[in-house]
Amino acid sequence: MADFRTSTHRSKWILTPRDLLEKREAANWRARKMLEDLGLTRLDVDIDGSISYPEPLQDSKAERHSIKALNCEEEQLLRVFYEQKIQEVCGAFKFPHKIQGTAIIYFKRFYLQWSVMEHHPKHIMLTCVYASCKVEENHVSAEELGKGIQQDHQMILNNEMVVLQSLGFDLIVYAPYRSIEGFIDDMEGFTEARDSVQTKLKELQVAAKFEVDRAMLTDAPLLFPPGQLALAALRRSNEILKVINFERYLERITSAERNSQNASQLVESLNAIDLLVDKLSIPTAKDMRHIDRKLRSCLDPSSQEESKKREKKSKHKSKRALSEMQEDHIEG
Amino acid sequence: MGDGRGIAGGTGGAAGGVSNRPVWMQQYDLMGKIGEGTYGLVFLAKTKKQKSCIAIKKFKQSKDGDGVSPTAIREIMLLRELSHDNVVKLVNVHINHADMSLYLAFDYAEHDLYEIIRHHREKLNHSINQYTVKSLLWQLLNGLNYLHSNWVIHRDLKPSNILVMGDGDEQGVVKIGDFGLARIYQAPLKPLSDNGVVVTIWYRAPELLLRGKHYTSAVDIWAVGCIFAELLTLKPLFQGVEVKGTSNPFQFDQLDKIFKVLGHPTPDKWPTLVHLPHWQNDQQHIQGLKYDNPCLHNYVHLPPKSPAYDLLSKMLEYDPRKRLTAAQALEHEYFRIDPLPGRNALVTTQPGEKIINYPARPVDTSTDFEGTTSIHPQPEMLFLGVLQHHQLCLPEQVHVQFLWLGCRGCHKQTCQLSILLLKLVLEDLIQELCLFNVVLQHKHINSS
Repeated sequence: MADFRTSTHRSKWILTPRDLLEKREAANWRARKMLEDLGLTRLDVDIDGSISYPEPLQDSKAERHSIKALNCEEEQLLRVFYEQKIQEVCGAFKFPHKIQGTAIIYFKRFYLQWSVMEHHPKHIMLTCVYASCKVEENHVSAEELGKGIQQDHQMILNNEMVVLQSLGFDLIVYAPYRSIEGFIDDMEGFTEARDSVQTKLKELQVAAKFEVDRAMLTDAPLLFPPGQLALAALRRSNEILKVINFERYLERITSAERNSQNASQLVESLNAIDLLVDKLSIPTAKDMRHIDRKLRSCLDPSSQEESKKREKKSKHKSKRALSEMQEDHIEG
Repeated sequence: MGDGRGIAGGTGGAAGGVSNRPVWMQQYDLMGKIGEGTYGLVFLAKTKKQKSCIAIKKFKQSKDGDGVSPTAIREIMLLRELSHDNVVKLVNVHINHADMSLYLAFDYAEHDLYEIIRHHREKLNHSINQYTVKSLLWQLLNGLNYLHSNWVIHRDLKPSNILVMGDGDEQGVVKIGDFGLARIYQAPLKPLSDNGVVVTIWYRAPELLLRGKHYTSAVDIWAVGCIFAELLTLKPLFQGVEVKGTSNPFQFDQLDKIFKVLGHPTPDKWPTLVHLPHWQNDQQHIQGLKYDNPCLHNYVHLPPKSPAYDLLSKMLEYDPRKRLTAAQALEHEYFRIDPLPGRNALVTTQPGEKIINYPARPVDTSTDFEGTTSIHPQPEMLFLGVLQHHQLCLPEQVHVQFLWLGCRGCHKQTCQLSILLLKLVLEDLIQELCLFNVVLQHKHINSS
């Protein structure tokens, strides 16, 4: 589908910062409520793809209060962590670059409706990669995918329906990578094609691809169309590589643009994207250890009790559990 | 989309235990089964609110234990983005958690080109009027032009996939259907020929038969050319015998049929021909074969200088790069001369010409939404199904009699008696109807 203008991506999935905040707060609130009422937050996805709510735990209320729910910032950190994992997994499988882009967008859209406390992001991340492969005609069986990262593939299949459903079956997404190619092509015409410039444009393209990879980990893909993400990445890269006069280039494209967006509006968007990328903090293993422990206790308090005991027995074991979580997915 | 939204609230998720029917099914009255394919089943249903007819396509879970059928995913994801008068409209997607199947709800189209052509060939014994042929073709190309300009190749165009709307405000409007094989060709990650053989062999373009790797939207235009010829002559233009078995076998008979009508292709007229694997290998010595001069106009009974023939021959151009595009075809002179194409392809334009009542789709009322055949078909449903299907053919007293019998409910004896009676009456009517009836009777007796 070449036409972004008539796409579901544009009409339904480019949101405002306020939309994002509201949806995430709603999901977080729902999970908190569930923790309060039932003592745990995990939703079971059965083999048939249906979701069941947990039975209330029999523990006393006081005990339940000892379990703290994740707050919105912690949820955010977890999501970023697993989005980065999507890039690692797809890299390890040597999938075409578009696969990870699509999978990350699916993952982001999924967690606009759910809290990480309801569906474990590790499961959803793999299911998003699996669905992305199907949609981008790069079919990999769930078994292969599961094997490659030593995860149970049945979990991927169990979650497939709930992921597709949560995406509202809007499966065609526009990642910014193709837009970069398009702009580079266009720039070739803009700068009279000298060989030296050609080579530099290629460098610019490679650098911009890395920049977009970073932007994909922010909220920007839910807030801006792919063309603007691509332009922002090209502008950032150009500041270092200094290949073209970017201001003049932006003027040129806004004057040619059909949809009457003026140059200052476009620059404003690009600045906003830059800001998001600058603010991006990728959680460290230490951040993650704390959050992951919290998440596990929300999802399943009983396992937490056991792990506490285990922790007491041998400290290095719990360290191992964390590094497993981080490294399991990149093997294969 | 319907079930897709709002599920985060937990409403959609809790639905559908193993024994419970999904809640969404309650919004429809099931009329019966209208089709079957490798992907699953197609049902006819009416929405309880607006009473509009909906075709519901049920996709089974993919057999190899690999989750949701990729065919269903392909069809959904494309149709969610497409919106055009001449493309079938996907109105909803439903999930049955009990068997992990997807149900795609479409606006219902009563007719398709396969049935329209068959009706003319077998029942009416006369050709389809010029206005209808031209209108059907124009709308088909119009829809295809939209698809191609959105970088979608259909890849499986054939008369049974070209739907035509029945009574209602869209009467006689063409809808391109069945996107299970459609592909976006903007940036394929793999060569397009990788995922198996596509396009029913009779409508398959020569570059595909010769195993071209990077084929284009031109394959759809070839299929439209074949369909155009079939609308004119009421029989498939290139009716080759398909070689089955091994994956992507060489379809010699199909090529032979094409060469007999269009002449032998030459690298002169089709420069890239020499790069196509099957031509290069020449295992069946197709290069050396001798064919008479092209005689397409004789096959389709068109004067070689007529605009209709000119358009047809340009859609059946060997070289895909020289073949007309959908946009070019729409501009062709054929569509600018009388009779001009119209929106309702099924109306008559000539005064005194009889309106053709194309038969409605047969509805098998004994299958339920899950696709299981019911053991005790309700007699009134059977009769209503038969009556609805053929009410124009049944004499009035018979019609009344059956309604009366049918309304008495499932009294075993009444039931058998009425089915026998129905059979007797129908034997005098149409052969096909009898077959339908025998099936019903058979099922019923088995169950009693």
